[in-house]
Amino acid sequence: MTDTSLEADGATALERVVTSTDANTLGRYWLGAGSLTLLASLVAGVLVALERLDLGGAEVFGSADEIFQFWSAYRVGLVLLAIVPIIVGLGTAVAPLQVGSDSIAFPRMAAFSFWTWLIGAGTTITGFLIDGGLGTPDAGSQRQAVALTLVGLLMVIGGLLGATVSLLTTIVCGRVAGLTLRRIPLFSWTLLVAGTFWLLTLPVLAANAVLAYVDLRGRTAVRFGAEDAIWEQLSWSFSHPQVYAFALPLVGIAFDIVPVSLRNRLANHDVVLVLTTLLGVVGFGAYAQSFFDTPGTPVMYQAIYVVDAFAAALIALALFGGLADTLRRGAGNLGSGAGNRPPAPMVLSVLAMLLLLAAAAVGALRVVDPFDLLATSATGAQMTLTMGAAFVGAMAGTLWWGDRIFGKVSSQGLGLLAGLAAVVGVLMIGVADLLSGFMGQNDFTGASLAAAGSPDSGVDALNVVALVGSVLLLVGALGWFANGIRRLTGAAAPADPWGGHTLEWAADASTVEVTSERPLLDALEHAGSAS
Amino acid sequence: MLTTGFKLWFGIFVAAFGAAVFAGYTSGGDETGPLTVAWKGAVGNHVSYGLLISVAAVAFGLALFSIAFRDGDAEAAAELLGTETAPPAQRPVGGSWWPIFAALGVGATAVGAVVHPAVFVIGICAVAAIAVEWTMTNWSEKLSGDRAHNAAQREKLLRPVEIPVLGTLGVGVLVLAMSRVLLASSVNGAVVVATVVGVVVLCGAIVISRNPNLPRGMVQGVLLIGFVAVIVAGIVTAATGEREFHQKGGGEHATDTQSEDGH
Repeated sequence: MTDTSLEADGATALERVVTSTDANTLGRYWLGAGSLTLLASLVAGVLVALERLDLGGAEVFGSADEIFQFWSAYRVGLVLLAIVPIIVGLGTAVAPLQVGSDSIAFPRMAAFSFWTWLIGAGTTITGFLIDGGLGTPDAGSQRQAVALTLVGLLMVIGGLLGATVSLLTTIVCGRVAGLTLRRIPLFSWTLLVAGTFWLLTLPVLAANAVLAYVDLRGRTAVRFGAEDAIWEQLSWSFSHPQVYAFALPLVGIAFDIVPVSLRNRLANHDVVLVLTTLLGVVGFGAYAQSFFDTPGTPVMYQAIYVVDAFAAALIALALFGGLADTLRRGAGNLGSGAGNRPPAPMVLSVLAMLLLLAAAAVGALRVVDPFDLLATSATGAQMTLTMGAAFVGAMAGTLWWGDRIFGKVSSQGLGLLAGLAAVVGVLMIGVADLLSGFMGQNDFTGASLAAAGSPDSGVDALNVVALVGSVLLLVGALGWFANGIRRLTGAAAPADPWGGHTLEWAADASTVEVTSERPLLDALEHAGSAS
Repeated sequence: MLTTGFKLWFGIFVAAFGAAVFAGYTSGGDETGPLTVAWKGAVGNHVSYGLLISVAAVAFGLALFSIAFRDGDAEAAAELLGTETAPPAQRPVGGSWWPIFAALGVGATAVGAVVHPAVFVIGICAVAAIAVEWTMTNWSEKLSGDRAHNAAQREKLLRPVEIPVLGTLGVGVLVLAMSRVLLASSVNGAVVVATVVGVVVLCGAIVISRNPNLPRGMVQGVLLIGFVAVIVAGIVTAATGEREFHQKGGGEHATDTQSEDGH
C-alpha cells in the first residue's frame, strides 16, 4: 500500500468516490444514501398501514411478530437511517460554507463515519429483512437476525456520532474572524444545539442496544431481561421528547430561508438562538425510559415529562410566531421576486414549521392524563408529525442549498409538488392516528390486534386515512428523490440564485468582513449607501 | 502571561475543588479527608465528592493544556514555528483509503460477533492493522510541507513491515484457496488444474517481464482478477467439499498413500 493521500489527478473515478474526504462530496453521499433508506422506511410504513386496515388478523405479514418487526423498522428507519442522516448530509455540505471553513473538521473521520453508518445501515436492514429486526426471539424472530440488527444499529449510531463530532467541531473551531457564535447562521446554530444533544443521547441509545445484545447472546450467563423487550428499551429515541432533538435543525433551515426570500432581516435573531436552544434542552429524551421505571410514579407520569411536552408546544408556538412576524414584515418584498410567487423552499419551510407546531400540540395533548393517550397511536402521530416536519424542512433545505451543493439546478415546481404531497401525507397520518388514539387504538396494533379497535369504533375508517397519508408521503419522497436525480443532469446553477445573506453564498468567505449575522447583506447595503 | 483559557479552566478547578471540600465537610467527612482526596481520612458522601473532584481534575488538566498551547493562538503558533505568518487553521487533506477500510473492518468485527468467531477475529486484526497504518500516515503527513518527502518517509518506515506481512498473507490465502481446489478435484483433474495454473502464472510472468512498458493499471487489474478468481474458486470448492479418500491397505503396515474412489 503506497501513500494513501490520493491526488485527484492520478486516481481513478472509483478511487475518488470511495476515498473522498471532501465535505461537499460526503454531504452528497449522506443525502443520497439517506434518501434511499427513507424510501425503504416509507415502504415499510405503507405496508404496516395496509396491515392496520384489517385489525382482525395478520393479512399482509405472517404473524403479529412480523408486523411488529416492520412497524419498528419504519420508526427506526425513518429516524436513524433517513431523517437524521439527511440532516447530517445537509449539514456536512452546508455548515462548513456557512462558517467560512475550507473543509470539515477531521475530514477523514467524517468519511469514516459515513462509511460506518452505511455499512451499519445495510446490516440493520438485512437484520430486519431476515426475520430479525427488533422483534422478540421467543415470539418468532430469528435470534441471530435480531443480534445482527442490534450490531447494525450500533454501527449506525457510531457513524452518526462521528459525523456529529466533525460537524460540531467545524462550527465551533472553523469560523472565520468576526463570526462569533451569536452571528453564525441559524442552520449551523441549530445543528450545533441539536448535535450537542445527539452526542448526549445517542450513546445512551447505544448502551441500550449493547444491553439487549448482551442479554440476547449471553443469556445463560447474564439475564437483564432486555431480550424480551428490546423495543421497549429503545423506544424513547423515537417518541416525545427525543424526536424534537432530531428535528431541531429544521427550525434553522426555516429561519435561514425565510428572511432571505423576503429580502429582510430577522428581527429577533438572539431570541431565536435562545428558543432553539430551549427546544434542544426540551428534546433531551434519555431520561424518559419507561423500561427502567422504578417503583413509584412511572416516568411518563412524572412532572418533568408533562412539563417537557407543554414547554415544547410553547417554544414551537413562539418560534412559529417569530417566523410569522418575519413573514408579515417582509410580505411586501415578495413582489420584487420573479413571478411574484414565494419561492418553493420558503413555502416548504413555513409548512415544516407548521407541522412542528402541530407535532408539539399533539405531544402536549398526549400527556394530559384524562385523555389517556400515552399508549395509544397518538404516540405515533406525534412522532410522524415531528419527523415529517424534519423531512419537509430537509426538502426545503435541499431545494435552497442544492444549487450550491450540486452546482446544478433542479425543478422548483417538482420540488414544491413533492413537498406538498409530503405535507398532506404527514398531516393525514398525524390527524388520523391522533383521533384513533382518542378512540383507544394501541400505538402498536400487532402486539394486541384484538384490543386495537373494532370495526364499529370508527378506527378502521381513520386507518384508511392514515394509509392514504402514508402513500402520499411515499409519493412525496419519490418526487423529491426524482428531483434530486434530475438535478444531477441539470443545467449549471448560478453561484447565488437567492441573493443570500450568509457566507455560504460568498465567492470567497475569507475576504468578507463579518460584523453581523448577515455579512453579505451588510456588504450589499454598504455598497448601496456608498454609491 | 496567563492566557484567558487558563484563567477560565483554573477558575472552574478552584470552584469545583472548593465545592468538593465543602460537600465533604457537610456530608460527614473528617478534618483532613476532603482536603487530601481521601488519602488521610473520610470524605463524606462519595458520589457528590467524587463528581466534584472529577470536574476539578478535568478542569485542571484543561487549564494546563490551555497554557501549554497558549489557547491555540495563531500568533503564538507562528512564533513557535519561526514563521512570519500564522499557519492555516487546518491543512486540506487528500483522499484516503483508510476511512472505508476501517469501516469495513468495523463492519466485519460487528457482523463477525454475530455470525462466526473467525470473521470477528479477522475484523479485529483488520481494524488493528488499519489503525497502525492510518496513524503512521497522519504522522508522516506532518513531517514537512512536501508531500513526496512525507510519503517517502512513511514508506521507508512501513514498507519493511508491510511487504512481508502482506506477502505472507497473500501467499497463505492463495495456497489455502488452491489447496481447496486441488482437494476437490479428481486425481487427474488436480494434475490438470495445477499444470494449467502453473503454466498461466509462468506465461503471465514472461509477458510482464518482456514488456516493461505495459500500463501499470492493466497489470494490476489482471493480477487482481486472478487473485479474486483463485479465492472465489477456493471458497466455492471448500463449500463443495473434498473428494472421497480411501486408505490403501490397512492394519499395522498400512501406508499413508491414498487413492480416489475407484482407483
